[in-house]
Amino acid sequence: MRFDLDMPAWKWPFYVARHPFEGFEDLRWKKAYSMRVSLVIVLCFFIITVCQQVMTGFLFNTSYVKVFNIVPLLVQTIVLFFTWVIGNWSLCTLFDGEGSMKNICCISAYALVPYLITQIVVIIASNVLLMNESAFILFFQYFGIVWSVVLMISGMKTVHQYSVPKTLAAMFFTVLAMVIILFLLVLLMSLFQQVYVFGFSIYTELMYRFSI
Amino acid sequence: MPKMKKIATAVVSFVLAACTLATTAFADQPYEGYNYDWWGDPVPSQTGYVVDRVITGLDFKTGERYNTEAQLKEIASEHNKQYFASQQEIDDYKAKLAVYQAYEDKLNEYEKYEKALDKYNTYLEKLAAYEQYQKDLADYEANPDGKEKPKKVSKPKEVEKPAEVQKPEPVEEVKELKDGDILMKNIDLKSFNEPSDLFIDRETQNLYIVDSGNNRILITDVNYEKEVIVLDYFYNPKKDKYETLNNPHGIFVRHVRDEAKDADTTMLYIADYDNNRVLGVYEDGTVFQEFTKPSSEFYEDKVTFQPNKVVVDVAGNVYVNIKSITTGAVMFAPDGSFSNYFGANRVEQTAQAIANKFWKTILDREAAAEFIQAVPMEFSNFDIDDEGFIYTVTESKSATTDVFKKMNPAGENILINLGFSDYIYGDMISYYWKGETFGSQINDVDIDEDGTIRLLDFGNGRIFEYTDECDLLFIYGGKGNQKGLFTSVRAIEAYNNVVYVLDSRKASITTFKRTEFGDIVHEAMALYTEGKYEEAREPWNEVLSRDSNYWFAYIGLGNAELSQGNYKEAMDYFYRNSRPGYNRAFKQFRMQFIRDNFNLFMIIIAVVIVLGIVISQLLKMRKKKKAGGK
Repeated sequence: MRFDLDMPAWKWPFYVARHPFEGFEDLRWKKAYSMRVSLVIVLCFFIITVCQQVMTGFLFNTSYVKVFNIVPLLVQTIVLFFTWVIGNWSLCTLFDGEGSMKNICCISAYALVPYLITQIVVIIASNVLLMNESAFILFFQYFGIVWSVVLMISGMKTVHQYSVPKTLAAMFFTVLAMVIILFLLVLLMSLFQQVYVFGFSIYTELMYRFSI
Repeated sequence: MPKMKKIATAVVSFVLAACTLATTAFADQPYEGYNYDWWGDPVPSQTGYVVDRVITGLDFKTGERYNTEAQLKEIASEHNKQYFASQQEIDDYKAKLAVYQAYEDKLNEYEKYEKALDKYNTYLEKLAAYEQYQKDLADYEANPDGKEKPKKVSKPKEVEKPAEVQKPEPVEEVKELKDGDILMKNIDLKSFNEPSDLFIDRETQNLYIVDSGNNRILITDVNYEKEVIVLDYFYNPKKDKYETLNNPHGIFVRHVRDEAKDADTTMLYIADYDNNRVLGVYEDGTVFQEFTKPSSEFYEDKVTFQPNKVVVDVAGNVYVNIKSITTGAVMFAPDGSFSNYFGANRVEQTAQAIANKFWKTILDREAAAEFIQAVPMEFSNFDIDDEGFIYTVTESKSATTDVFKKMNPAGENILINLGFSDYIYGDMISYYWKGETFGSQINDVDIDEDGTIRLLDFGNGRIFEYTDECDLLFIYGGKGNQKGLFTSVRAIEAYNNVVYVLDSRKASITTFKRTEFGDIVHEAMALYTEGKYEEAREPWNEVLSRDSNYWFAYIGLGNAELSQGNYKEAMDYFYRNSRPGYNRAFKQFRMQFIRDNFNLFMIIIAVVIVLGIVISQLLKMRKKKKAGGK
């Protein structure tokens, strides 16, 4: 049975999730990459992670929610996602990858969908289940993660037109690239902080001068 | 593409801006009296104990040796000492000594006089000879012929006649006396010297203090009222000798009841560290057993046998803790023969240990043997409770595995937290303060008559009090020089709600007594462990009104609500206090919720099914229409 591929953009992630292998081929064929949809998915990723921290039932909640801090969650979701995209793009443009940054961003976001859906299920279930029923939650979590990883590999393979081993190698090196990018970011941040402190001390000096 | 870059820049700058807003605040040191909340952070809390008294050796003034007079005389002759029955005798002896010394002085003087007299007499002789010579010379000069010229005699130097000294009357000879040579029944205790262990005998209420530096054991009672008994010479009938201790480190006291004779025998087991033995002594000071280095093939020759602590179970098996052995306590049968090792710790799961395990599965046996063997940490102290469970503690700063164990007679740890992660003992995290890492180093444990566990933390000088199910009750003590703070804690004992802590560097015993708050908590806890949750409600409420940070009160109240069937309230109390409790309450709550709303659920399910059927039919019809339309 053929599907009607002339569907609206928001349906594509679900279609792709249901067809892990040919879904991305169709996506590529129809050039149905939608930046808007993928950004919404990334935002959902962030919101669901926040929900997971705050709304997971007490029995399964391992997070430190005494002081809620949004910065680490931002770093864990949005920053991590865009570092992945940037890292993958910069690596794969060097190694004959066909995907543009937009393509990579879209397929990465689409691949996240199963993980997000199962995560919602897990959050709801954690408020209903008991500790000795934790196997269900564990199953859902692993199921979502594995499905998303499979989608990610398939998507990467399609968007760059790589073979499977090359895709896996590219993904591994992308992780390395991400580490380097984050390291540079930290360096940059500390530099900014120093510059800020320098500027601020000059400002206070001047203020002392002029207040006399 | 440019849009993408714009978004990336915006995200990066947003994150950078957000990061500058983040501030982290944490306390430098835990609070004075503190407890831990659900997340393992220290929160201020009332303390259950306050300092009562600090006792040093000087407070006891004098003590009494338990040896009889006859024994002391024998000891004196054996160890080259002087026995005195009383201070009077010493004074008499000293008086005699003074007389004798005066006599000796006089004798010296007389001897000097005699020498001088000798010299004077020879002078007189010489003088006589000289005078004779002069006379002869005068005769010769007057009538020289026929006579020989007399030999020349020079004039002797003049010597004065010494003043006359009387020869003194002879006095009985008395030996000189040094402080260390005095052996008395009563002795001046002076201060302790690096004491290292305490033991409270609950039957007799005796408090035993191991005064290591002075090589003696002191016995007093728990209120320090009884005259101190000093044990330092022990009669060994096998060698027919009186033996001393050399840096004893531990003591254990055990009563054996002889039903036939209706008599109680008290047996003391002393870990005699530098003499490499454990000495078993009766109350009268007779050695009945000596546990020395076993000559078994399971005990390596090069391993030393320096007993650190000793514990004896009801059957008379002796467990000896030796710091150089990592395979557990050395266990002796009651007859003194080595039986085996008892209760080793598990190996700490460090990265190294895991790597070693990995290589061992891959490599063959010879190659694997070359890897460093992962050994468990040795435990440093132990205690035994009335039911025969042995409790061990591990002192190392880096130890996280088996810091504290409760072992059944088979040597298995039974405090395993029911399959949840291991319990954490002592401070939750070690922290860094002014160039030093403070972490808990648990070096003694005491189980009191109610089963309350007290762990002594050498690192921070603190006492951690737990229930018999490892729920933290109180944290008190600390490091410092003030009263109630410690520099180098060594031993802890508790009896009758009083806690005794021994500090070896301060050479003192600090007594803590329970506060009103502590009394209420313990009252509630006692009811709680008996399962009388409802009766415990009132004291728990009282606890909360005094200290709303006291987390265990919430668990107690939660259980009270649970036993009443108020599941929602129980869940509220358990929330962020106890996961198992919440689990139990939630199970009941869920059950009740489903039962109460069964009809509603059924209706919802029916409606969903009907709606599903209707919608699918509608869709089918629509598709058919579409198909037909085409």
